[in-house]
Amino acid sequence: MTKTPRRLLPAFPALLALLAVLCAAPGPGDAAPGRFQKRIVRGAARWSPPAIRTERPIAGRRSFRFAADRVLVRFRSEVSDEYAEGLLRSYGFPGLRRIAGIGVWSVRTAPGQSVAETLTMLRRNGDVALARPDYRARLADVPNDTYFASYQYSLRNLGGVLNISPELQLPMTSGADIKAVTAWDEARGDAETVIAIVDTGVDLDHPELIAKLVGYGHDFVNGDEEAGDDNWHGTHVAGIAAADTNNGAGIAGVARDCRILPVKVVAADGNGYYSWIIDGIIWAADHGADVINLSLGGDVDDPFLEDACRYAHDKGVVIVAAAGNDGQPGVLYPAAYDDYVLAVAASDYNDALAGFSNYGPEVDVAAPGVWILGPAPQWYVGEGYLPYLFASGTSAAAPHVAGLAALLRSAKPDLTVDQVMQIIRYTADDINRTSLPGRDDHAGYGRINMERALVPYILR
Amino acid sequence: MGDRRRRLGGILGFAAVVALAAGAAAETNVRSIAVGLTCESLPRTVVWKGDDASSKISGSLLSLRADLGMPGGIVFSLSAGAVLTDFRGLEFNGLPIGLAYDASPLLGLAFGAEAIVPLHEFSGLEIGATGRLVYAFGMSKTWPLEGFAVEGSAAGRSSWLEAAAGPRLTWRRLAGFVPYLEIQARWLQASFKMSETLEDLQGEETKRVRGDFSFSAALGVEVPLSDRLSLRARAGLLPRSGGADALALVGFAYTFEGRKGP
Repeated sequence: MTKTPRRLLPAFPALLALLAVLCAAPGPGDAAPGRFQKRIVRGAARWSPPAIRTERPIAGRRSFRFAADRVLVRFRSEVSDEYAEGLLRSYGFPGLRRIAGIGVWSVRTAPGQSVAETLTMLRRNGDVALARPDYRARLADVPNDTYFASYQYSLRNLGGVLNISPELQLPMTSGADIKAVTAWDEARGDAETVIAIVDTGVDLDHPELIAKLVGYGHDFVNGDEEAGDDNWHGTHVAGIAAADTNNGAGIAGVARDCRILPVKVVAADGNGYYSWIIDGIIWAADHGADVINLSLGGDVDDPFLEDACRYAHDKGVVIVAAAGNDGQPGVLYPAAYDDYVLAVAASDYNDALAGFSNYGPEVDVAAPGVWILGPAPQWYVGEGYLPYLFASGTSAAAPHVAGLAALLRSAKPDLTVDQVMQIIRYTADDINRTSLPGRDDHAGYGRINMERALVPYILR
Repeated sequence: MGDRRRRLGGILGFAAVVALAAGAAAETNVRSIAVGLTCESLPRTVVWKGDDASSKISGSLLSLRADLGMPGGIVFSLSAGAVLTDFRGLEFNGLPIGLAYDASPLLGLAFGAEAIVPLHEFSGLEIGATGRLVYAFGMSKTWPLEGFAVEGSAAGRSSWLEAAAGPRLTWRRLAGFVPYLEIQARWLQASFKMSETLEDLQGEETKRVRGDFSFSAALGVEVPLSDRLSLRARAGLLPRSGGADALALVGFAYTFEGRKGP
């Protein structure tokens, strides 16, 4: 029997709604779930996944990156090799090599002569058919994780169909992604950069995460030093941010070489108190977190929660939080603490904003948050299924942004927290510019663009 | 502030050299004065501080030059002109948004001072010494940063200072032209300050080359075209790992009093 990821669409909204209810309640006794809770739909039918693509295309590089001392030349067909060699030697090039089969010469430029000068000189010669720089290529560095090519549209979307199940085939728009592959060429993070997943905990034995964990973290729900996941949410979020990447299995994480610090502040039933979240934020900031991901939130503005965010911010921690999944105005807290937290809305495989994504002036950016594949505990998905599931929500969008923040922190450790936040905002793609040009309350500055944030801009 | 201080230092240093030359000229009788136009290529492969890979600084100078001939065959030269410096390939990764320079060369001003001192001559071979200082500073240039969610721009300004000194062998027995060979130790200091602004996101990075040291060998010639007009040309190599940078100079000089060879 083929193993397959399970589907789990409305679970993120459910969790956030529960937290919203919890936070609105005056006391623990009133924290019973109810009015916003939605039932989790699980994919009952097992299905055969489509064939997984194995080709690994080479992505383009910046045009000026070519050999500084070499060019490639092809002569017109009527020019003999002997004549061509003599001609090239007459220019005084110190090295020549003929590439057999295609009649191209690799020419070492004369001392002190630039590639541009050499090409200009050669192109003036009527016998030369084509003279080109010797461009630098690189390994096709697309991670070899099993589901990267087929399902992780959020990282690289080549268009086609997102094949969730036989009943759910979703046409995608090429380029509706966060441009992770090109950005990874510039930065992949490092093991010193830590993303705290302040959530339901993390499956500490999950193959996608076990090698990425800083330690067992802290559990503020049960009051112990082992932040295991008795839900599934935190495991999923952690994997999106920094799953073990290029390990030939599963999925790729955004911050592929960064590590994860699990912090449990939400119980198995999806409820958590502000006090636990406050403790979690402060503990993470005090235990080496560079980035804190909060795929959770509540409706109530609370000065203590804001103080915790300020504390972490002032300690140099970038905080990323989900905007909320009610599809209505009102960004949840702590995402709404604009000075300290990046509030993340959700977009989809066509760069359209998700209908469930909350909106308001506090929204900073959007990131893919619809049908996002992430790891899940094996006990949760059940026997016969792979320990992965698809889920949707701003909870799935936020860790994309947390991953980018971690890559920025590792690539440019001298940046301030505010600079990292501004880079993430200002490098975003304005995905809803036709209806709402510029920054707006739905997508903020737009869907994040890792390439623009990490790859140097070319001054021309 | 630091860059301004360095620029001021460069100008003051140049002014000091000019003052010394002028003082020397005033104290001793100037035997000859020649003025001319010089076009020169000064490429230099360097590794900027903090970089792993090398990149090239290519200076192209067009300058007016005045040679003051002193007793004993000493020649003091002063020059001033425009310089185009090419920094293509330089990356500023310390900025919030990294920048890769692939723009056209930066225009600037260059000032130079040079001295040629003959030390000994036998059988037509003159052994002497040369010393040279060139200071170039670029005018500020601004580029728009496009494609971002907010408007932005980057502004860059560069400067470099090269000092060179070494022996010079001149052969004076040939009719019609005077060839010479120069071997020079060359010291280069360069800086390129780049700043960027994207709304309230601002950053500044200064790339530096602090005292890059190299040697060059050059063959030159002065060809009298008439009693007063002469052609000057020089070509040389500056070896570096994996190749060499080519130096070139061509120019004309018009002599007002007498004529003084190189």
